[in-house]
Amino acid sequence: MRGRDFASFTLRAIRAHRTRSLLTVTGIGIGVAAVVILTAIGEGIHRFVLTEFTQFGTNLIAVTPGKTSTLGMSGAMISNVRPLSLDDARALVSAPGVEAMVPMVQGNAAVEGGSRSRRTMVLGVGPRVPEVWQMHPSIGRFLPRDESSSGRALAVLGATLQRELFDSASPLGRRVRIGGEPYRVIGVMEPKGQMLGFDLDDTVFIPVSRALAMFDRESLMEIDLLYAPGADSEAVAEQVAGLLERRHGSVDFTITTQDQMIEVLGSVLDVLTMTVGALGGISLLVGGIGILTIMTIAVRERRREIGLLCALGADRQQILLLFLSEAVALALLGGVAGLAAGVSVTWLMVLAVPALPTHTAWDFVLLAETIAGLIGLVAGVLPALRAAHLDPVEALRDE
Amino acid sequence: MRLDDNLRLGVRSLTTHRTRASLTVLAMALGTAAVILLSALGEGARQYVLHELNQLGTNLLIVLPGRSETTGGPPPLLGETPRDLTLDDAIAIGRSRLVKRYAPIVVGSAPASFRSLSREVTILGTTSDYLEIHNLKLARGRFLPPGDPQRGRPVVVLGDKLSRELFGHRQSLGRWIRIGDRRFRVIGTLASAGESFGTDMGDLAIVPVASAQALFDSPALFRILAEAPRRSVLPEAKEAIRAISRERHEGEDDVTIITQDALLSTFDRILNAFTLAVAGIAAVSLVVAGVLIMNVMLVAVSQRTAEVGLLKALGAVERQILFLFLTEALLLAGMGTLGGLVLGTLGVHLLNSQLETFRLVVPFWAPVAAAVVSLLTGLAFGMLPALQAARLDPVVALSGHGT
Repeated sequence: MRGRDFASFTLRAIRAHRTRSLLTVTGIGIGVAAVVILTAIGEGIHRFVLTEFTQFGTNLIAVTPGKTSTLGMSGAMISNVRPLSLDDARALVSAPGVEAMVPMVQGNAAVEGGSRSRRTMVLGVGPRVPEVWQMHPSIGRFLPRDESSSGRALAVLGATLQRELFDSASPLGRRVRIGGEPYRVIGVMEPKGQMLGFDLDDTVFIPVSRALAMFDRESLMEIDLLYAPGADSEAVAEQVAGLLERRHGSVDFTITTQDQMIEVLGSVLDVLTMTVGALGGISLLVGGIGILTIMTIAVRERRREIGLLCALGADRQQILLLFLSEAVALALLGGVAGLAAGVSVTWLMVLAVPALPTHTAWDFVLLAETIAGLIGLVAGVLPALRAAHLDPVEALRDE
Repeated sequence: MRLDDNLRLGVRSLTTHRTRASLTVLAMALGTAAVILLSALGEGARQYVLHELNQLGTNLLIVLPGRSETTGGPPPLLGETPRDLTLDDAIAIGRSRLVKRYAPIVVGSAPASFRSLSREVTILGTTSDYLEIHNLKLARGRFLPPGDPQRGRPVVVLGDKLSRELFGHRQSLGRWIRIGDRRFRVIGTLASAGESFGTDMGDLAIVPVASAQALFDSPALFRILAEAPRRSVLPEAKEAIRAISRERHEGEDDVTIITQDALLSTFDRILNAFTLAVAGIAAVSLVVAGVLIMNVMLVAVSQRTAEVGLLKALGAVERQILFLFLTEALLLAGMGTLGGLVLGTLGVHLLNSQLETFRLVVPFWAPVAAAVVSLLTGLAFGMLPALQAARLDPVVALSGHGT
């Protein structure tokens, strides 16, 4: 039998039982669509979380006090006997590869401005925030860079705080009281939005040394280092660790590179996508049983036809291939239909709920299609074998 | 036609096509089993988390320094405030009649050493009531002695991992260890409790709160745990604590109070939604199995056209034929459901015998919901083929050239 005959034979068999084929294709299609939609949501969440985490830049190394091996929080963040001091932070800038540094202390205090007051997050930071965290002031300027003025009572407001305290009036030059002390507003940050449900604009930035005094602390909570793009994060982290160890005499700090964090996060989220994909795969499996059932019925019904083919000289292999290709064709048709349905449903979901992060995961789509084809193949094997082993004489005699 | 005739006919037609019927049942069973297993997984996770939270003791209020006015934002779990929560605040809160027990908490990290062995550990400064509030068990010795919390005695209770790291299998009670620049006498060790929300309760040293304040040279408390006498007075206790702290902080409302209840119900909601979502995803496979039932029934109808014609010629009305085929579809779905329930339960037992810390629990609604959904899909997808059979023209059908 020639290839073309072969194909037309298979297609004709599928077309002959239109409803039956359609339903079988629907079964597989639902399975593939489930995988496509679920992995699209998984992949969407993956990308969403990664952008959330990289919005502060990617070439970052964070140094926190206390030694901890997991990503969990160390008690040393809160208090410790060996503080990570401002001098440590200043020393780290000299480490090779480090371009800029932001020391950070975080707290919570009432900010009074105009006639209003609001409790909000206070960030004690260094002047290099615009470069290191990639946040820029929308009006005014950020904390000044000259070393001598690092302790001056200047404040930069986050967008939400500015709106809450001053509405649309310009706050530049106005006085605010933070934790009871007077500060002068010199800038307002661009809105940064939310991160994991956390309003990043409900903040006020003040010089780190003032924050340490306000909260009566010696230790910074974190030092963020920016390294040159293209530099090896591992090597820079090693230099930083060496320098700090020489200053402290022991390793009583933790260094996390942004790469590392994103890698860990990425692998966790990959597992998530894979799991939801596998959940969708259950439907694919059930659809495969559908193909198996329908092919079993088809072989039974077409015994005479098989007998005739054998009588005309078709050998077992040809019969086997004939039924196998029918099963695979059904599965692939289901795969294509499921892909179309899945992509359009995803599109509709985004239309209905714009906040839902989705991104069609093409590698998983390809995997789902391959698996659909394989399921067709596996499901087709048994019925096709049965067809191939029919005795032609018996088969022809079938009523 | 009577009901038992109806059933008998259905069973007979299924047994004549054994492969076909058993494959359809298998498909339905897989779907049902998936629903059971996945919802058991979700429910297991929910109970695990709730159990962990309940270990903290119920009726608990957690007082944190600082307050954020962002709506929807998380409370300031970490970070500093210009006005600290102090031990005096804690004692004042403890005096309220709506507070049965309280424990001030100071957390930090410091190196703990015994002879040449040293280890960076989490130091927890608290009072004697912490043991009962947190439902901790002691392996040996006793917990921090009760008495004036302002007095910092040089005694320490070690977590079991820390005790093993510093002393191996030797006796640790009565020995002096060094934490930071101070010396403490070991008076007890905790029984192994594992992790509690990421904090390793084994790698921990518990000292009196005043000693921890001196160690870290700071009067600030990390948080205060307060236990209300009954669940019903939690809201009043919360208000009372807020009033006390406002009075002590010059009229300023600068603490956040979280009730254990709120925390519990939040986790409960999230995990229930999660369980429903995975069960829903698994239920998609039930629909696929439903499609298969429809397909198989359509084939059956077309193969049995002559039989339907004969039944009609013998006086069967449309409704009877409809019931006949619906019964068959429902039999397929029902057997699938039964098989799936058995398969799912077996799977849960198998997993439970393999897993140690985590137990799968089949929620009460899962078998019911799975059965209802699969029977309904069987009914819905069986309807079309049954209708097709019922509407056959007897004359055409008898000739065997129907559809």
